[in-house]
Amino acid sequence: MDSLGYLLAALTPYHVALAIGGVVAGTVVGSLPGLTATMAVAVLIPITFSMEPASALILMGAIYTGAIYGGAYAAILLNTPGTPSAIATTFDGYPMAKRGDGDLAITLACIASVCGGLVGALFLLFLAPPLANVALSFGPVEYFWLAILGLTLISALSQGNLLKGLIGACFGLLLSCIGVAEISADVRLTFGSQTLLGGIETVSALIGLYCIPVLIDLVATPDRHLKVEDVSRGFRLHEALDISWRSKFNLARSSVLGTLVGILPGAGGSIAGLVAYSEARRSSKQQQDFGHGAPEGVQATESANNATVGGGFIPTLVLGIPGTPPDAVILGALLIQGVRTGPNLFTEHGSIVYVFIWGLLLATVLMLPIGLLIGRYAYRSIVTVPKALLVPTVAFMTLIGTYAIRNSVSDVAIMIVLGVLGWVLGRFGFSASPIVLGLILGSIAEQGFVQGWIIGAAADDLWGQFFGRPISVGIFAFILLSLFSPLLLSRFRVKRELTGAD
Amino acid sequence: MPTEPQSRDTGGMIVAAIFILIGVLALWDTFDYTDADSFVFPRTVAAAMIVFCIGLIAWSLAHPIDVGSRRAQSTPRRVGLVTAMLIAALLMPYTGFLLSGLLAFAAIVWLAMYDPWTRGRLIVYPLVGSAIVLGFYFLFTKVLLVPLPTGRLFIG
Repeated sequence: MDSLGYLLAALTPYHVALAIGGVVAGTVVGSLPGLTATMAVAVLIPITFSMEPASALILMGAIYTGAIYGGAYAAILLNTPGTPSAIATTFDGYPMAKRGDGDLAITLACIASVCGGLVGALFLLFLAPPLANVALSFGPVEYFWLAILGLTLISALSQGNLLKGLIGACFGLLLSCIGVAEISADVRLTFGSQTLLGGIETVSALIGLYCIPVLIDLVATPDRHLKVEDVSRGFRLHEALDISWRSKFNLARSSVLGTLVGILPGAGGSIAGLVAYSEARRSSKQQQDFGHGAPEGVQATESANNATVGGGFIPTLVLGIPGTPPDAVILGALLIQGVRTGPNLFTEHGSIVYVFIWGLLLATVLMLPIGLLIGRYAYRSIVTVPKALLVPTVAFMTLIGTYAIRNSVSDVAIMIVLGVLGWVLGRFGFSASPIVLGLILGSIAEQGFVQGWIIGAAADDLWGQFFGRPISVGIFAFILLSLFSPLLLSRFRVKRELTGAD
Repeated sequence: MPTEPQSRDTGGMIVAAIFILIGVLALWDTFDYTDADSFVFPRTVAAAMIVFCIGLIAWSLAHPIDVGSRRAQSTPRRVGLVTAMLIAALLMPYTGFLLSGLLAFAAIVWLAMYDPWTRGRLIVYPLVGSAIVLGFYFLFTKVLLVPLPTGRLFIG
């Protein structure tokens, strides 16, 4: 099938309906303060299990992109980011709403999100296939090092201490070993428990680790009785398009930055938004306006965070290493469907990948009318949904969704226990993302490590097997860089401050 | 300008100590495996985890961290939420998914409710809750064809 064929396959009424439904559902969940884009994808994912992989991917991509955009509503109108990726949107979005430009800020955010989403998806369309060709030359040891690179990057980039991130990653890797070993059939790390014999089901674990801590915190505090800033009537589309055209370089730069940040494993929309915001501020001639309602601030953040959607799919689909936390959930869902991501996906299952990419582009374009309409007519009703109905609804969705994966009550119990564990660990600065990535990358890392070990031991050259191949050495250098760069940067900063003080 | 109080990361060190214990248990478990394919990876990971935990404890002893103040939050409601979900999961095979789901939903509505129960809320919330549970039950059983448990108690 050629490009046109894939495009037409993405434009079937069924796929258009999925894209519309996904964007609406994602935008609604993302706009609710406290619920993240990862959670939106995780709780809605069980609906995709009975679908064809390409259709499931279109729906998941649409939910994801809608949720990232949805976070802007609360950021602009409530000064509370609906999702963490909209943190930097509050800096200028809320001041705009306070001076009566909330409607303009929402339209600008929508246009910027569409621009960012399109740039990310186009990068995915044009960059992923050549990268997949390069990745075809990777052997098991390279995949092992790539998995470790993903784990070290997420440990370095996730909140808190690097060592805590690495401990979480190791814990996730150990969780992935639980159950019957694939090759030797040894029963591992079950400690006599029949429940653990089947191993930890990845998506149930993700639902637990990402959704239960949010619910636990939501139930512990009263409703905030949110006061939505009054917005004037209208979309102000012409004005917003005019402003967007004038800051086209800001939009382009932020979208590219967002895509590049999305490609880094573990670095999601929040980092992309903050990086793009600071870059927009640094390069602006009106730096003093930032933080006081500068439209460029909203545009930079919103274009960058939506660009991470396409960017994050690049390592997810090419290497099987999730770029962002929602990608981790989507990767888990694909594994349930029997689709193994990696370079072969592009050659053996081109119909899945390319139909999905066109579907993602379609969903991104549809976000413009849908986002504007929801922001204009439905946002006030969505954001005032009482917590007493929101929490049980999400809790019920986690129960039914987890059960549906393997029809297993044990999975539901494990999901809840892991969720509580995630919440407890989070209280002490251990982020959930390294654990999740460890769990997902466990099988890739183990396969590569064991094969490399066996070959190296047989050739009596373990060192050469792991450190003697050019690509492995390159990836290993990146691992060292990701491990030590935060330390070097902080030392450099301290030194610079001391020099400045002198 | 007020600064955050500084103290040792005692909680982080306790968690690291627990992870060392988990690592030791994992290492001990690997000695029962028959094949090198099975033990080489978990053994390496467990050893690395122990090393990182020791590193974290040493780091935390030497470097105090900022301890932010925490908002007053309700622990009983947190415990209640988790208990309600766990009970629902354990009841599923006996009472069926629908009944356990409805009970869990009702319990969590009660736990998440901070406002007074007005007559309107007493009527609307159970209706909305039932509609949500029944809607999802219908979606999963009839559309997505997921065989949700019907409950041994009612089958005999």
